Amino acid sequence: MTGLRIPPEAGAERVRAGGEWTAELADAADPQAQASARPARRFGVAGWLRWGWRQLTSMRTALILLFLLAVGSVPGSLLPQEGSNPEAVAQYYAAHPGLAPILARFSLFNVFGAPWFAAIYLLLFLSLVGCVLPRTVRMVGSARQPPPRAPRHLVRLPLSVSYRTAQPPEQALASAARLLSGKRFRVRAEADWVAAEKGYLREAGNLLFHIALLAVLVSIGLGGLYGYKANRLLVAGTSFSNTVTALDVFRPGRLVTPGDLQPFSLTLDSFSASYVMSGTLMGQPSAFNAALTYTSAPGGPSRRYVLTVNHPLVVDGVRVFLLGHGYAPEFRVTDGTGHVVLNGPVPFIPVETSGFTSEGAIKVPDASPQQLGFAGVFLPTTVDVGGRLASAFPAPLKPSVSLVSYAGNLGMNGGTSQSVYTLDTAGLHQLAVAPRPLTAGQSIQLPGHLGTLTYLGYRQWISLAITYDPGQFPALVSGIAVLGGLLLSFMVRRRRVFVRAGPGPAGETIIEVGGLSRSDASGGFEDEFSGLATEIRGVIGPPASPAPAPRGRPEEHRGDHEPPEGE
Amino acid sequence: MPINVGLAHLSNGLLLTAVVIYAVAMLAFACDFAFGKKRAPAVARARVRELVSAKAAAGAADSAVVGGPVVEAEDGLADEPLADGPGADGSGPRGAEDGAAEAVRRAGRGPVGFWVTTAVALTCVGLALHSAGVLTRGLAVHRLPWGDMYEFVTALTCVAVAFFLGAMVRYRAYYMGLFVMASVVLVLGLAETVIYTPAGELPPALQSYWLAIHVTAMTLATGIFFVAAVTGVTYLVVDRHARRVAAGRPAGADGILRRLPGPAELDRLAYRTIVFGFPVWTFGVMAGAIWADYAWGSYWSWDPTETWAFITWVVYACFLHARATAGWRGRRAAVIQLTAFVCLLFNVLVVSLIIPGQHSYAGLH
Repeated sequence: MTGLRIPPEAGAERVRAGGEWTAELADAADPQAQASARPARRFGVAGWLRWGWRQLTSMRTALILLFLLAVGSVPGSLLPQEGSNPEAVAQYYAAHPGLAPILARFSLFNVFGAPWFAAIYLLLFLSLVGCVLPRTVRMVGSARQPPPRAPRHLVRLPLSVSYRTAQPPEQALASAARLLSGKRFRVRAEADWVAAEKGYLREAGNLLFHIALLAVLVSIGLGGLYGYKANRLLVAGTSFSNTVTALDVFRPGRLVTPGDLQPFSLTLDSFSASYVMSGTLMGQPSAFNAALTYTSAPGGPSRRYVLTVNHPLVVDGVRVFLLGHGYAPEFRVTDGTGHVVLNGPVPFIPVETSGFTSEGAIKVPDASPQQLGFAGVFLPTTVDVGGRLASAFPAPLKPSVSLVSYAGNLGMNGGTSQSVYTLDTAGLHQLAVAPRPLTAGQSIQLPGHLGTLTYLGYRQWISLAITYDPGQFPALVSGIAVLGGLLLSFMVRRRRVFVRAGPGPAGETIIEVGGLSRSDASGGFEDEFSGLATEIRGVIGPPASPAPAPRGRPEEHRGDHEPPEGE
Repeated sequence: MPINVGLAHLSNGLLLTAVVIYAVAMLAFACDFAFGKKRAPAVARARVRELVSAKAAAGAADSAVVGGPVVEAEDGLADEPLADGPGADGSGPRGAEDGAAEAVRRAGRGPVGFWVTTAVALTCVGLALHSAGVLTRGLAVHRLPWGDMYEFVTALTCVAVAFFLGAMVRYRAYYMGLFVMASVVLVLGLAETVIYTPAGELPPALQSYWLAIHVTAMTLATGIFFVAAVTGVTYLVVDRHARRVAAGRPAGADGILRRLPGPAELDRLAYRTIVFGFPVWTFGVMAGAIWADYAWGSYWSWDPTETWAFITWVVYACFLHARATAGWRGRRAAVIQLTAFVCLLFNVLVVSLIIPGQHSYAGLH
């Protein structure tokens, strides 16, 4: 492959031309060369520290850390994660009892909170700081520096052109310098050369990009310390307040105390889901609307809000999202002694989406003489498929509930927490009740005078995600800065143009124009250079008469402008 | 609003026709390789250039002289790979090296032949039908037509073809036609047969203008990276061939490869394509984060699709850094770039279809 070729002498020229340039080059392109160029000597503690720092901040290390970051993220996407899906982790433990503890030992169920993952990104960001800080200092330092000296032989630069003119060298150089500073180049003019540089914003953009990445990390950290996430299931017609005890799941940041929670409360007035009624996508949901009434503080005015999927409710900086929905059949249970021991909705969990078949458990620990339990299936649109009941559509077109009845010990006093949606049948015996789907108003008479259950109808419930993240806005600003920095560093090119003028053998003036672009990610420096060279020729004036006529334009070396070549 | 079935059928017809026309365009590009005007072998041309260079060097004092290394140092210093190819050690006469490089560069240039004209015209017709197909699909469903996997693939290939046509005109990169069109025909053909999904409404989670912004950016970036990946593969093939030739070992497929530009140009084309695509991808990921923030309450939750978008981003960042690091340029950088594209494909084809997550919207049941 071909690429940049710096002949030894030209490289030396460039060192003389601008020490800072070479330093940048070595920094950006070849830290190893820089390191190995240092004389071998006995390292003291400081020497080792400096060596370690140099290794850490080298581009090669950054590259390896970047790779590690990518590779390290992979298990986080392939294995279930505690943070997003704890149920799946539990399932994984059940399915792979041997493997799971080993994986857990390496935090593979919590990759993005794992110490080794943190080590990778902290090292990466340390390496970034080590790379960015010196560059910032250097950039600030070079902001007032004039461009470096022009190399002795401009023809050795990547782009160059030369021609002859009748104008005396001083005059020619003055015209060129005027032209270049008119084009907002920073110009340094000396006796027999002019050096001009432009595109300092590229380095600024590059730095902005990397600093903004650091700011994104800090913002995420801010959210992790002071923010919190919570979940709450809310049945239509009920309310809750934003307190730790009222929340089903509460994940506070490290520095959050229960007193920090914003004291709003909200009521779900009604919920409706609409579905596609025909066609191939029949049964797919098309809209969810939850009508809420909320107050931002106790005693405050109550407001109304219609919560939909992409439109969270914002109260006091906290955002409330509609995550999911389901059915909560309502029951009334009278026990063997004639007391009503349960009267209200019991949320069932949807187990499939096409018919929204939902399952749940009704637990009646207060029933006497025996505790009662029911495992139930709610079918929104009940159909009989060859003797088996199923739900054909997610909307409640023909709702019914089927129950299996149990009596005995619910096992709720054992101290171990159990799911409210499933029944632990270990201490229970099934009751002989004819399996028959209940429609609203129908009852089951339990055998042995254990009581009666009446299915009253259903309500709907929604699940809410409640999040507070003070790092969100800083993260957004940093993200925009990341993008801005990226665009600047890709679109601006830093380039230098040199003009030399000297007397030729026949008394005329020989003009050399050379160009160099350190970074030209989006291309186009050749075009710019050839344009500039033509303009410089224009201002410098016509060639001395006997010289062979130079070509109209400096030859270009980009295919898109190339005149078709004869084959 | 109900789906417009007539328009949806029209869209299907247009897309199928586009695939057929693309296939013919691909054949035309292949014909150019097979029957197009033969170019002078690179080596002979190099010798001519060498003579010219030598003459120019001799007459440097008074004639317009353009510096030798113009050709291969276009990107300037830090961004350009150090020479590591044949004759790049600086030992040979500079003029000869540069001449050779230029000859290789120009091998795919010159006047455009009949087959290329035909192929480009067909590609344009195909693109017009393809765009019309995407447009009518959008009109049929009353939204932006990249909501499910099938729509996403048809839209991203449309971007890839458009981007390729643009690059082809700008860089006269006609040689890429066969490779780009072959992969487009393959991908679009698979889209029509394997993952075809009839026009339909979107679930509520996707009803947001952030869908337009996020998915549009992702579609654009994927289309652009697609072109970069095809260029990367071509680069690896050409580079391998160049190495074999340099080492004096037998190298097959000489006729085709001689028509391709040198590895340096392919490398540069891939780099500039990725430089174009990377900010778009970054923006797309950020727009996705904003949308996730609206929809799920957290701008980043390490959902599998998010994670793989992040991995893809990191690996492309690796590519950009590798290209500025000694010892990682050239082949290694190309392999990194292709790895990044494989991550992207894995995300589109495996993660969103198989691994459960919040992005499971592919529309395939």
